[in-house]
Amino acid sequence: MKFSGIWKKKKDHFQNIQLNESLDTLPKIPLHPELNQNIEVLKSAYKDCSDVVFREFSIGSSINAVLLYIDGLSNTEEVDQHVLKPLIQMKNHEHGAIFEKTKKEISVSDIKDIYSINDIFKQISIGNSIILIEKETKGISIGLPKWEKRSIMEPDAESVIRGPREGFIETLRVNTSLLRRKIRHPLLRMKQMDIGRYTETQVIVAYIEGIANSTLVDEVTSRLKRIKIDGILESGYIEEMIVDHPFSPFSQVLTTERPDVASACLLEGRVVILIDGTPITLIAPCTFASLMQAPEDYYNQFYISTLIRWLRYIFFFIALLAPSAYVAILTFHQEMLPTTLLLTIAQSREQIPFPALIEAFIMEITFEALREAGVRLPKQVGAAVSIVGALVIGQAATAAGLVSSPMVMVVAITGVASFLMPRYATGISIRILRFPIMIFSGMLGLLGVMIGITAIVAHMCTLKSFGVPYFNSTAPLKIQNLKDVLIRAPWWAMDTRPEFSSKDTSNLRRQSSNLKPGPSKGGGES
Amino acid sequence: MLLLCLTSIFLTGCWDRTEVNDLALILAAGIDKGENKNIELSAQIYIPGGSQGGQQSGMSNGSSSGQSFVRSAEGETIADAMARLQEELTREVFWGQNEVLIIGEKLAKAGISDEIDFWMRHSEPRIRADVFVSKGRSKTVLGAKPELERDAAKQLRKIVKTHIGVKVTVKDLSQMLSGESAPAVLPWVEKLPPSLMDKKKEIPIINGAAIFKEGKMVGRLDDKETRGILWPRNEIKSGMITISIDDENGYISLNLLRSHTELIPSIKNGQWSMHIKTNADLEVVQNTTILNLFNPKVIKKSEQKVADEIEQRERLAFSEVQEKLNSDIFDFANEFQRKYPQIWKQKKDEWNEIFPQVAVSFETKVKIKRNGLATGKHQRGVEQ
Repeated sequence: MKFSGIWKKKKDHFQNIQLNESLDTLPKIPLHPELNQNIEVLKSAYKDCSDVVFREFSIGSSINAVLLYIDGLSNTEEVDQHVLKPLIQMKNHEHGAIFEKTKKEISVSDIKDIYSINDIFKQISIGNSIILIEKETKGISIGLPKWEKRSIMEPDAESVIRGPREGFIETLRVNTSLLRRKIRHPLLRMKQMDIGRYTETQVIVAYIEGIANSTLVDEVTSRLKRIKIDGILESGYIEEMIVDHPFSPFSQVLTTERPDVASACLLEGRVVILIDGTPITLIAPCTFASLMQAPEDYYNQFYISTLIRWLRYIFFFIALLAPSAYVAILTFHQEMLPTTLLLTIAQSREQIPFPALIEAFIMEITFEALREAGVRLPKQVGAAVSIVGALVIGQAATAAGLVSSPMVMVVAITGVASFLMPRYATGISIRILRFPIMIFSGMLGLLGVMIGITAIVAHMCTLKSFGVPYFNSTAPLKIQNLKDVLIRAPWWAMDTRPEFSSKDTSNLRRQSSNLKPGPSKGGGES
Repeated sequence: MLLLCLTSIFLTGCWDRTEVNDLALILAAGIDKGENKNIELSAQIYIPGGSQGGQQSGMSNGSSSGQSFVRSAEGETIADAMARLQEELTREVFWGQNEVLIIGEKLAKAGISDEIDFWMRHSEPRIRADVFVSKGRSKTVLGAKPELERDAAKQLRKIVKTHIGVKVTVKDLSQMLSGESAPAVLPWVEKLPPSLMDKKKEIPIINGAAIFKEGKMVGRLDDKETRGILWPRNEIKSGMITISIDDENGYISLNLLRSHTELIPSIKNGQWSMHIKTNADLEVVQNTTILNLFNPKVIKKSEQKVADEIEQRERLAFSEVQEKLNSDIFDFANEFQRKYPQIWKQKKDEWNEIFPQVAVSFETKVKIKRNGLATGKHQRGVEQ
């Protein structure tokens, strides 16, 4: 990180600057009193940047000044109306206090003083307009940005039946406002930093002071500060650089597009990382149980939420093990099946030329391919692909005698099961791990399946996400904390926060303990 | 190093992998006496193919019953015969789904302990398979084609599940044979008499039981006697008892709801005796008499009558088994051994002589729990 290009001062003449390094490491270049010098420096910096506009004008037709903005990022109408027009029409021509006078004339709430070229780079890139005035070593940054943004929509990947319909969008400020609208307390902190040498992406670490563990916040911040990269285009860039176990197939950071999920996580003492340019936010720490929780669990009645949560646990295993168990039983443990079932399977397998393992692989790979094709293709073609795929898998393959119908059944169940995972990332790790277990089962039967499970469980037990064990509250076991793991306890019973939240003893409880509704409590007279 | 470990796991692991396509699934097995002390092993083997795969298979196979065939081989032992059988088959013999074992009458009379050893010792056959003794050769039973079920094996297995006769698995049999004087009881398979069928077909049914002693078949009980031995063996699960009350015309039929039997042994002054205590609950399902079943007196009378009936059945069985066949299939030996371990140790060897002398007494308590929905009174009342 060396700074190679330098300002060469030759008789008050600036040479070209070389901007091949991060703007943070660029030495501070104070503004020169000579306006033309500044303009020259900036023009050389923004050489060949057709979208940067330099509008030179005179304040009150006597003092030279320049307005500087990036076309498309600034709200030019407003700038014209509230900045340019009053300045040009200004009457007072005294030089000395011109800076303060100018500021008074500008009827914009968000204005800042800037003192260096570096500040200009920063301010201009987020859509602010800059005014530099002759004989002044300060400039004014006017916060009137405007750019095209998507409207707030329901996120497709995390839709709910009961619950808010809004989702994060690509614009950071909108996202923070969505959070702030849900959590109004000033203790909701939002630390900002810029990551990415060229992209200068704004990243915000949001947490609630007093609920989030302060060491966790420090850890997240320090890990983010470590990142030195050309650019951050999506949260995935950051995720891969801050996780504890970079080679694990399991996701160690939660992701969400939903402000309500992010808020709930904040209230549990987690840290939310918002990144400009993507609707996907990161949440840390992440535990296995939290990967199995869907937002709707907390909005629906707790009986059904508990049942569905169990359904997910069961189908987690089905998604992971169904093909391998089928292969293992069919090639090693035929005595385990009920006679009638085995006879049926034997009948349907009679014409199949491949061993069960190969058959399973063909089907699973075909299924993965179809799924990928369905996701990637444009919507109109995608439907066609799924129809063809269903035909290929469901009928043609069996009719052609390539795969047996029980295998189709197994693959279909596996597919459905992996769609049942509330977080897309969980489904991915299952899809990856399915294949090694299948190989194990093909080699060693159920023993191989057990070896696979043991290896996976052992790996998951070693995982930690920001110092929190992956199986937190299950292993190490804390009965108290199972209320949100094995069951979804009713809200009036969930009175303590998760274990990893702040240990501040004055603030341990989520809610007062006597909240269970009943005829003698609440209500008018009683 | 890791690679070495992984490869060694995989290289050693594959040896017992077999596809279903390479298995000859044995559904039922029969053993008979062959020539020159040989054992003849017959196996009913499933034919998985037949139709052209895919969609049609489901439909076309529904009606066809010829989905299995019987093949037999002789050998000095069952294992030997099995090896011979394997020679005749293209696929590996698989015992894991064998649920029925039928022993031919001749072999049963010659002794079965040695053959059961194979079923217990070999790891593949299920020890929960049901065992039967067939009249005549077991091979003919295996070849039978029942109408309702897939094959003879399924037919026998289903019948035995109803608990109308005795149900004995390989494990039970082995336990019985290892007891003192090796008494055993096995269901007896016969052909359904042609008079009860519309078409002439050979359909195996269970008709009574075969009684074993010292591992050899010594006699058989008919159906009624078999029902009698179920009571003290505590195996009766369902049953219909029909009684008639003294001076009345008509009968009352009762359905057994539940029953429990207790064996209480006692030795007094050198006299061995066994008290058989039975508690049974029944419900009335048909009443062709003019008696009013809501009358407690009638109920009391009926209960007494049912108790008599049950005792009578038991007595019948005992007279056959205890006196004639002298085979301790009720496991009295075990009861005595538990209660009088000291005396048992001394008298163990004389058990064969003692058993026929054991005085058996009955105590039967019957409770009629339900009278049925119809009162059955008004019609008859009008007639009177």
